Amino acid sequence: MSGARAAWERVAARPLRSALACALLGVLTLLWVLAARALWHSSVPAGMHLPHVDPRSVFSRSFLTSSASFERFLVIDLLLGDVALVVVLALYARWGDRLMRESAAGRIGTGMMLGMLGFAVLWLAEVPFNLAAVWWERKHGISHQGYLASLIASFLSLGGTFLFVSLALLITMAIAGILRRWWWALAAPIFAALALLSTFLSVYLIPDTHPLRSEPTAADVRRLARIEGIAGTKADVQDVKRQTTAPNAESVGFGSTRRVVLWDTLLDGRFDRREVDVVVAHELGHLAHDHPLKRVGWLALFLLPAAALVALFTRGRGGLGQPEAVPIALFVFVVLQLLTMPLMNVVSRREEAEADWSALRATHDPTAARALFRELALASRANPDPPTWSYVLYEDHPTIVQRIAMVEAWQARHAH
Amino acid sequence: MAAEQSNASPHHPVRLLLVDDLQRNRLTVFFRLILSIPHFIWISLWGLVTLVLVFINWFATLIQGRSPAGLHRLIASYVKYAIHFHAYLHLAAEPYPSFDGSPGYPVDVEIPPPAAQRRLTVLFRLILLLPALLIVLVLAGNPNSGAGTGRRSFSYTGGLLPGVAFLGWFAILAQGRMPRGLRDGAAYALSYGAQFWSYAFLLTEHYPDSDPLAAVPDLPVREDPVRLDLSDDLRRSRLTVFFRALLALPHLIWLELWGIIALLCAILNWFATLFAGRSPEGLHRFLAAYLRYYFHVVSFLYLIANPFPGFVGKAGSYPFEVLVAAREHQNRWKTGFRVILAIPALLLVGAYSALVFVVAVLGWFSSLARGRMPRGLRNAGALALRYHAQATGYLLLLTDAYPYGGPIAEGAAHETVPAIDSPSPTEGPGGGPGGPGAKPEIGLS
Repeated sequence: MSGARAAWERVAARPLRSALACALLGVLTLLWVLAARALWHSSVPAGMHLPHVDPRSVFSRSFLTSSASFERFLVIDLLLGDVALVVVLALYARWGDRLMRESAAGRIGTGMMLGMLGFAVLWLAEVPFNLAAVWWERKHGISHQGYLASLIASFLSLGGTFLFVSLALLITMAIAGILRRWWWALAAPIFAALALLSTFLSVYLIPDTHPLRSEPTAADVRRLARIEGIAGTKADVQDVKRQTTAPNAESVGFGSTRRVVLWDTLLDGRFDRREVDVVVAHELGHLAHDHPLKRVGWLALFLLPAAALVALFTRGRGGLGQPEAVPIALFVFVVLQLLTMPLMNVVSRREEAEADWSALRATHDPTAARALFRELALASRANPDPPTWSYVLYEDHPTIVQRIAMVEAWQARHAH
Repeated sequence: MAAEQSNASPHHPVRLLLVDDLQRNRLTVFFRLILSIPHFIWISLWGLVTLVLVFINWFATLIQGRSPAGLHRLIASYVKYAIHFHAYLHLAAEPYPSFDGSPGYPVDVEIPPPAAQRRLTVLFRLILLLPALLIVLVLAGNPNSGAGTGRRSFSYTGGLLPGVAFLGWFAILAQGRMPRGLRDGAAYALSYGAQFWSYAFLLTEHYPDSDPLAAVPDLPVREDPVRLDLSDDLRRSRLTVFFRALLALPHLIWLELWGIIALLCAILNWFATLFAGRSPEGLHRFLAAYLRYYFHVVSFLYLIANPFPGFVGKAGSYPFEVLVAAREHQNRWKTGFRVILAIPALLLVGAYSALVFVVAVLGWFSSLARGRMPRGLRNAGALALRYHAQATGYLLLLTDAYPYGGPIAEGAAHETVPAIDSPSPTEGPGGGPGGPGAKPEIGLS
């Protein structure tokens, strides 16, 4: 109460300045809402009603049971992993600053070390959950990766995380050293710009890729890219079959680095050419509707308030200019990420639905789309109709049932 | 606290005795390898017999709890003879050794009489030997390492002992003397070898000590222009040890970038020193800072020091500190041919690099288990890095003093050689274990 009273007294002492601050906050909020509205726009017809699809009409009872069981384990494992993550980060936020004695690196260097050690501790805490997931996927034939290989791979990828964290803290703490409490106002746009750069260069960061060698598929890519209005977009293949049997694809970059990346598990003969075309058209749909750029936009919208909240919560330890504030900053940032994950999933699902719609418009092949979604579920043992809580928390794609329903909706529209 | 004041480990019961005067006969050195042929044959035959004796000794020690006196004496004779022979072969001693390992050779070994040994360590002696084996391989070299099978083969030919012998051979032919640093480097390797084989052959249950400060008697105190100030307290954070290689990544990237500029500066420095007879002040300072930072990072990476280093190589900020003396006049001939002159030192850097790598691997496990770096391992790593720092300083034209190849007595770092980057009493380390204005606990140079 005394804090609130002190804040009120400060407002009362400088009414003009407070009014200006409120007005500025209001304008910023308005701009935020307008930007979010622009990013929210979708080419999927507004108010389109998806017909009800009974999963039992598409999948066998045994598959529905086994996929539900398969996915339940993974989702619970993920949930427990997230709980462990929050607990470990909370403990680290409380006591992590004690590790400052392990540094002789000055203000920013010590902050970088604490940031890296925070993720190191997280990695250790996540090891059992990751190994459990590997065990489960191996048991069901989805993953071929050994336990040690999985551990080593995740350990090595931690090196990349360390570099990213170091760079992020270097920028943030350097700005905080100059701008003090207002570092976030500059840091958020800088990180958005870095995310934009990273999106542009992401195609070069994907390992084990090579150009698409199958000429018929390459011709389909060229044809579909023309239809979707992004002629000249190329497709690469990523070799993943040593690690997994699950099929997948992704779209990366923008402008001259725009690329569709197909996993080699998608081209191993389990899916026919028409089904692969649907996948390609879906990924091209992402690129045609600028989803990689939109993701950067959403990130920027998230970063601005998130950085402001980090700045607020780290004030108690002298602000993010001081290394002892880093463990708290990590905690706040990761918790905010977890809390906003359901919202980001909504955004992601909306983009995926738009890409599906785009693929249907480009291929005019609802039969192949329906078959593809069914086979995708079978190949990756995805639960076609997951429970709501898991859908809200973790699903960043529409469910298989929803995707098939969209196919039927598209078919119904074009039947008339 | 008393133990902390000295950097050397307590004495190992298997001790090297050294009465060598460094004088060498050029003729016997030139033909040293050929002269050693009879000893090669004899040591192989004696070695086969000793192998059988060791096997019997293992059973006897396991049953009795101590090595039988007769067997102990026979095997100890072999170890002594092997050390005499290798000292001769690797130019650490001059006289032709006798074939019976009798005492009195300039490089000799003192092996204690049989003592009680714990049966458990006797039972698992072969397994317990493995870490020490790694060190003995990098110190004494592994002549058989080229014998790979199948499509792959290893071509490791390093090792400190063959390295110093190779360089010593040329030095002796030129000067008629074995350089002290090279001789002491060889003595260090021989001392560790003696302790290793004594442990392997069950002559003692004391584990070999890799500490170079405890290995060689009467080490010199030196005041080199590039020297080491080590104020590490051996404590290690298990968390940072586990992730040490990954934590060093930002530093390694920064070091690469800094290294590009440093290379350009070193080339400029070469021209400037050749012309003016000494380094320009600015370049000297910049390259000294680079050298300091480089060894902050490397000592952190290889677990020779504990705290996460800073990114600017600030003087006095780290417990493993390379001190560089103020610029001095340098011989233009030495400057002109610096790259060629540095080649022998770089060969030895290769041998020492293998040592510091093994130290890091073993130290990683040990530090994770105990939260401390073993003193012997830390000092071995510090010796290797000190030599590396001196060689790099020589190459960067920070000094024209040639790197000193052997261990140096502790205490040299307390000497007041004017150094451009010594912290002032008020400056002090920025948060390292040394604390502000801390006196260096020990020094290896």
